[in-house]
Amino acid sequence: MQFVVNIMVLAAIYALIACGYVLIYRVSRVLNLAHGELMMLGAYLLVATASAFAASPLMAVVFAAVMSLAVGGMVYLFLMRRMTGETVLAAVLTTVALGILIRGLIVLFWSAQQQHPRAMLGWDNPVIVLPGDARISLYSALLIVATVIVYGGLFLFLRFGRWGIRMRAAGQNPLLAAQRGINLHAVFALAWGLSTFTGAIAGMLIALDSGLDSTMTMIGLKAFPAALVGGLDSLVGALIGALIIAGAEVGVIRFIDPLLADVVPFIVLIVMLVIRPWGLFGTREELDRV
Amino acid sequence: MNGTALLEVDKLEVVYQRAITAIQGVTLAVRKGQIVALLGTNGAGKTTTLRAISGFLGLDDARVTEGAVRFRGSRLENRPPHEITRRGLSLVPERDKVFPNLTVAENLQAVVRRGRSGDARVMDDAAYHFFPKLKELRKREAGLLSGGERQMLAIAAGLMCEPDLLLIDELSLGLAPVAVENLTQSLVSIRDELAISILLVEQSAGVALRIADYGYVLENGRIVLDGDAERLTRHADIQEFYLGQASGNRRSYRDVKQYRRSRRWYG
Amino acid sequence: MSKPLPSASGHFRRSYADEFRLIETRFAKAMTLVFAVFLIGFPFVASPFYVDLATQVFLASIGALALMLLTGIAGQISLGHAGLLAAGAFTAGILYKETAAPFWITIPASAVTGAVLGIVFGLPSLRLRGLYLAVSTLALHFVVVYLGGEYETRRGYSTGILVDPPVVFGFEIYSPRIWYFVLAAAAGIALLVSINLMRSRSGRAWRAIHSNETVAEALGIDMARYKLLAFVISSAMTSVAGALFAYYRGFVSIEAFSLYLTIQYVAMIIIGGMGNLLGALLGAVFVTLFPYLIEGLMSALPGADRLAGSVFAVNYAAFGFVMILFLVFEPQGLVGIWRRVRNYFLLWPFKHKALGGSS
Repeated sequence: MQFVVNIMVLAAIYALIACGYVLIYRVSRVLNLAHGELMMLGAYLLVATASAFAASPLMAVVFAAVMSLAVGGMVYLFLMRRMTGETVLAAVLTTVALGILIRGLIVLFWSAQQQHPRAMLGWDNPVIVLPGDARISLYSALLIVATVIVYGGLFLFLRFGRWGIRMRAAGQNPLLAAQRGINLHAVFALAWGLSTFTGAIAGMLIALDSGLDSTMTMIGLKAFPAALVGGLDSLVGALIGALIIAGAEVGVIRFIDPLLADVVPFIVLIVMLVIRPWGLFGTREELDRV
Repeated sequence: MNGTALLEVDKLEVVYQRAITAIQGVTLAVRKGQIVALLGTNGAGKTTTLRAISGFLGLDDARVTEGAVRFRGSRLENRPPHEITRRGLSLVPERDKVFPNLTVAENLQAVVRRGRSGDARVMDDAAYHFFPKLKELRKREAGLLSGGERQMLAIAAGLMCEPDLLLIDELSLGLAPVAVENLTQSLVSIRDELAISILLVEQSAGVALRIADYGYVLENGRIVLDGDAERLTRHADIQEFYLGQASGNRRSYRDVKQYRRSRRWYG
Repeated sequence: MSKPLPSASGHFRRSYADEFRLIETRFAKAMTLVFAVFLIGFPFVASPFYVDLATQVFLASIGALALMLLTGIAGQISLGHAGLLAAGAFTAGILYKETAAPFWITIPASAVTGAVLGIVFGLPSLRLRGLYLAVSTLALHFVVVYLGGEYETRRGYSTGILVDPPVVFGFEIYSPRIWYFVLAAAAGIALLVSINLMRSRSGRAWRAIHSNETVAEALGIDMARYKLLAFVISSAMTSVAGALFAYYRGFVSIEAFSLYLTIQYVAMIIIGGMGNLLGALLGAVFVTLFPYLIEGLMSALPGADRLAGSVFAVNYAAFGFVMILFLVFEPQGLVGIWRRVRNYFLLWPFKHKALGGSS
């Protein structure tokens, strides 16, 4: 039972991060390799607001989340907008460079020491005992809840929201979308904002659960195979992909060798790329569009 | 020319990749409430003209090198497309005219309206009023529609932008005559009821001249003929080369060449 | 290597033999000679610190040239460069530790390892393009790094493998000055190999594949063969660079081969200038010296001691920032800047080069 709970928690983490990759890829065909760093930035924003809003911890969380939304939008408007029309390599490398810049700045501002935003906010993290004697920490449980809410919200937004429909439209055919009066830059900025926002939620909850230092980017990087295994342009795929990757990782740690944990997602990714490069739920034509 | 023109294209010249001149000295005007046809064969420069008007030139490394496009008096060249749409000019492109993975209703919802009529449903109703068939297909993915239904959806989506001028690229391309007939009737009623002007770019002169008030004939990147639809329909050359009604005895291919040469420096 | 505008410099190739010459004009010959003399004299006049810097630049140049051949010329995006360097370093380290193999066995062995890994890294390229290829090489990087880490823990070298200085003909390569010449020679060989590859059928095939795969295939270029060849040659070169790195440092640890190292190499070819061997060299110089430059600048700033703790972070951030600047504002890299400057002086007092001018 504990085994299943572990998988669920890890899958929730990966899924919550992976939807950020999917959102950006889906509308602008850019793979955002700075996602791990942006997510970490969200967590560090919480550290910043935690000291500023010590009186009202909840406000600190809300404020940090809103700020990360703005950060994502600004990353597009001030940086990635200039990369439209450039080659895939250039756009991806720009995100890589952005990641390095963010990581450097974070260490510069907050030092490389581990931070504990939960202690700063004065919250504790009780262990919940589930039936079957499985244990889960409060924030791990919240992670699962947050993943459900975010995916539900994204699904409703993309299906029924006017701007959600526009995002889908822009992803399918940017040219036609512009002709229909859709401001592509607004849509892309929105995608970047939402992606950073969801990433930041993941980052904040992980940081609240188990502390925060710059190794968090590795989690971000490991979530990326989840997005790709499911298919880079499919949210459902990201969810399933996260389950597969988390299942493989927890299984390997339990039954084979804990040292393999960091490499399992990438082995699954390689297998997937060999068999079905466009992922489980991805669209096949993507391959030629790259 | 009298009356105020909604759209004025003045001696437009477009050059592709700084080397190939696609159109030269193209001058045309669309007045309020008019349906204007722009005729021409493949490669005559129709699509280029349309793209220059709708602001989609940059993608192919093309550039307006001379002349001007004025819409309600203000210049339009080299502006981003969504801004042009917001000014009241919407384009129904030739290919890829709908979002295939979105349903019909979503295709219409995705459009950014200019915000004249506050309620979205008014425009929805308008779209379904002109194309009642779309209402039945509301929940279907646009990728599964037939060619005629797609064209309807594309025009309806164009209407949703609440334009003053609708540009339609190749209305009849690849469609059955019945479907074309229905579409042309819808266009006329759109013009009559909503007072939207239409610029129709067509290969099939028969279709276009039936509903147009005024027409231009484009050849090798230049306007070679223009006039009232009636005058054009009666024009011997149009009948011969665009409507396929040979008057009198058949002429040989050499005469065709003759015609092309004689028209070349007309505009 | 790019040649100066023939028409502008007044130099014309008059025979086929001229086309084959590496160094074409008397002026170029003189410049090459001056440069060679400078390189030979450098370790005798410069301080050990600068000799070490130069040696690092040589080492980086080999890796950068290899990556330039693969990504800049053949257009196959790879994010697994650190993995290949690690493979070379570990092959040398493991062979040395387990079998006490000498220098002249470990180096070829790491080249072979690199070549084999090149095929492994390259196989996805037959099916995948662009982004997906980059991702697959990235994944392989993690696999290689994992294997290295696994070896370290299994054998109890968790802090790293110590590698003694190589002995060649009974002569121990130990002093920095000797290393300087060894690595200068290695970089020189790598450069010569690269230049000649560029001028050969393979180089032309790679550039054809880079510009348009479909057209290249239609022209009769064996896609699978040349793509794999690019991976194999590039990986072998990289692997050897990794092995030399292991010997030069005298120490191999998987920690050194992080994703950041890959990014540094990719940055070299971006900052240097894509698709140009000179770019790889300029990029290697720039990226290797950059941290020292930043450190120097920071110590020159007021309150230097206060900043001392954050040198690493500043370095990191500045590196990302410079990379962004190049990607956004100077996609042609240092070579682009160099060309503009050169053409300016070549053409002076005119402002524009003639239409159809090359380079």
